[in-house]
Amino acid sequence: MAKKIMVVDDDPDIVEYLVSIFKEKGYATCSASGGEGALELLESERPDLLTLDLEMPDEWGPRLYRKFSQKPEFKDLPVVVISGLAGIHLAIRKAVATVNKPFDPAQVLEIVERAIGKP
Amino acid sequence: MMEKTLLLVDDEPGIRKVVGITLSDMGYTVLEAVSGDEALAIFHREKPPVVLTDIRMPGMDGLELLRRIKAESPETEVILVTGHGDLEMAVQGLKLEACDFISKPVNSEILEIALKRAMDKIQLRRRMREYTDELESRVSEQAQKLVELERQCAAQEAVDGLTQAMGGLAGEIAGEFAMFNALPCLVSIQDRDQRVLSANQLYRERLGDRVGLPGFTIYAGAAGLGLDSPVARTLRTGQGQKSREGLFGPEETLSAVTVHTAPIHSAGGQVDLVLEILVEAGEVQRLQDELHTTRQRYQQLFDEAPCFITVHDRSLRIQAANRRFRQEFGPATGGLCYQVYCGSERPCFGCPTLKTFEDGRSHQTEITVRGKNGDPVNVVIWTAPIRNAAGEIEAVMEMATDITELSRMQDHLASLGMLIASLSHGIKGLLTALDGGVYKVNAGFRANDQDIVQAGWCKVTELIGRIKGMVLDILFYAKKRELQLREMPAADLAAQVAEAVAPKASQMGVAFVVEIDPDLGNFTVDEGVLSAAMINILENAVDACRDDKAKTAHTVSFRARPDCSGVFFEIEDDGVGMQPDTLARLFSVFFSTKGSRGTGLGLFIAKKAVDQHGGRIGAVSEPGQGSTFRIWIPREK
Repeated sequence: MAKKIMVVDDDPDIVEYLVSIFKEKGYATCSASGGEGALELLESERPDLLTLDLEMPDEWGPRLYRKFSQKPEFKDLPVVVISGLAGIHLAIRKAVATVNKPFDPAQVLEIVERAIGKP
Repeated sequence: MMEKTLLLVDDEPGIRKVVGITLSDMGYTVLEAVSGDEALAIFHREKPPVVLTDIRMPGMDGLELLRRIKAESPETEVILVTGHGDLEMAVQGLKLEACDFISKPVNSEILEIALKRAMDKIQLRRRMREYTDELESRVSEQAQKLVELERQCAAQEAVDGLTQAMGGLAGEIAGEFAMFNALPCLVSIQDRDQRVLSANQLYRERLGDRVGLPGFTIYAGAAGLGLDSPVARTLRTGQGQKSREGLFGPEETLSAVTVHTAPIHSAGGQVDLVLEILVEAGEVQRLQDELHTTRQRYQQLFDEAPCFITVHDRSLRIQAANRRFRQEFGPATGGLCYQVYCGSERPCFGCPTLKTFEDGRSHQTEITVRGKNGDPVNVVIWTAPIRNAAGEIEAVMEMATDITELSRMQDHLASLGMLIASLSHGIKGLLTALDGGVYKVNAGFRANDQDIVQAGWCKVTELIGRIKGMVLDILFYAKKRELQLREMPAADLAAQVAEAVAPKASQMGVAFVVEIDPDLGNFTVDEGVLSAAMINILENAVDACRDDKAKTAHTVSFRARPDCSGVFFEIEDDGVGMQPDTLARLFSVFFSTKGSRGTGLGLFIAKKAVDQHGGRIGAVSEPGQGSTFRIWIPREK
């Protein structure tokens, strides 16, 4: 079964963009548009990697991260931060990488592959 | 020791006899010795002040005797009696400190001279000793005089220091106006005998140098006799006194003075000295007048200062407010500052007055308050503690300067810089989404799938539209744009606006109701600016409906109707509505509830556009019920 990547971003266009990049490469995907629903989706989909936007209208990325990383089953889930905020590289210190918007799709794919391997 | 006792030493009885008689006649008590040895023995016993001795004697000669006597008692005067040709011995004798020498045969006159010289020498020496002995007592006497002098100096210093301190104190009371420095006080310090020990310069100038004289004689009546003078009463009671006395002036004039006295206690608790202060009654009146004028000047300053000044007590109740404050915020005295100033129910966050109460320092803050007519007023507030006589902070003064205009300009300038930071997030999001659209188009081409290309292209088109809107927003905001006014039918503008928004509403599945009164008439506006503002608000209304998942169907209404001097527009939606705090900040720059989709500029620009036309804009909203925006534009700006 293909490895699964979960995309969390409040902008549906960006969700669609990321999902299509990952899909084309062969990864399975799922997505949430904000904090609401993201936790339930994590539980039900059990992804291998998570991309996370930091600033969303209803939830602040780092707080969402704290919520799920306290659970033992998600403690080691690799997180890639993808955000337009400046100076964000320390917002989530355990993130495997921090990518600034607008991003280079090849760079994102390389980071993902380094973190969880090929699909 | 006998005054005129003399030891006569000679081995020849004849000479002893003749000279002895001569000496007795002169009034001397004569002791006789026949040899040097005997002479020494008698000398030891009787201690005569003068010894008259022959030089040539068998056994111990005169020089030897001289040497021995001088060794024992240098003060004893020895006169040598020499024979013929004994000059050399006589000179030796003088070297050994013989007083004199006379030659044989002894001439009574010469003897008398020699003796007188010896006696003078003794007396001189005695006086010198007395002087030496006296010196010690003289030193202590002089020292006492010095101490007394010092005491007077100290008293003088005390007077000067006191005058200065009173000047300082008065200066403090009267604020910056140092009028009390000119306080015409006559100050003196008097001792227990009411004698003036020291007085200040004015006292000396007015009443002469009275140091050492009784202090009460300057007074007329009973006080002038000393028994009932203010100082006497102070000495009697040990208490400070205050009374009115008559004061003799130059040329027998009489003037009224107020006299204050204060006892100065010695270490033992006794009243040692009394401080007396005289103030002329006429001067008191003059000073009171001056104080009154000063107070009035302060009041004027307080009222006319080009800022809002209030004085607050610990519970933040306003104790005093200047005229400017009362004009802008209404009668305030007695009210709570945060109610009067901000219309809020609790003290402002970071209240500078509370901080000043806490640490006694001046604090500064910048807040937005509400004037009488509800308009926001940006003010910078400085605080200063007001202390009572004990130094405790009794109240705090707030000085607020209206910087509304300034902050408007500042807003504009600062936001040019802030734009980059604030908008970059949104722009980055848009660019990323645009990348996504392009990616999708490319993917469609790669897969040769026309549908994907079509969908991707739609995305790209939409995003370019959004980016364009944002760039225009920014340009509009960044540039100070002159209105391009043109008279036009208000209905035309309303129709344009409705037309522009209708597609978006239908796309989102929101019903769009347009009610335009046919008799709107003309108005003079910048068509582009005003329509953009209204489109912005209408698009917000559609978005509010789209975001509301609680209801299944939504309606946005756009109404326009005329009134006597302008045109009234109303935009109503039944979308998500707004929380009160959102409503309060609605028109401020960079405030957005839309996350990455909003620039925070839309409503700010809309308000600016309406303001530029001299119109009014306002909004009401209920969370979950919807919002209504109302805009009024005058026909002529």
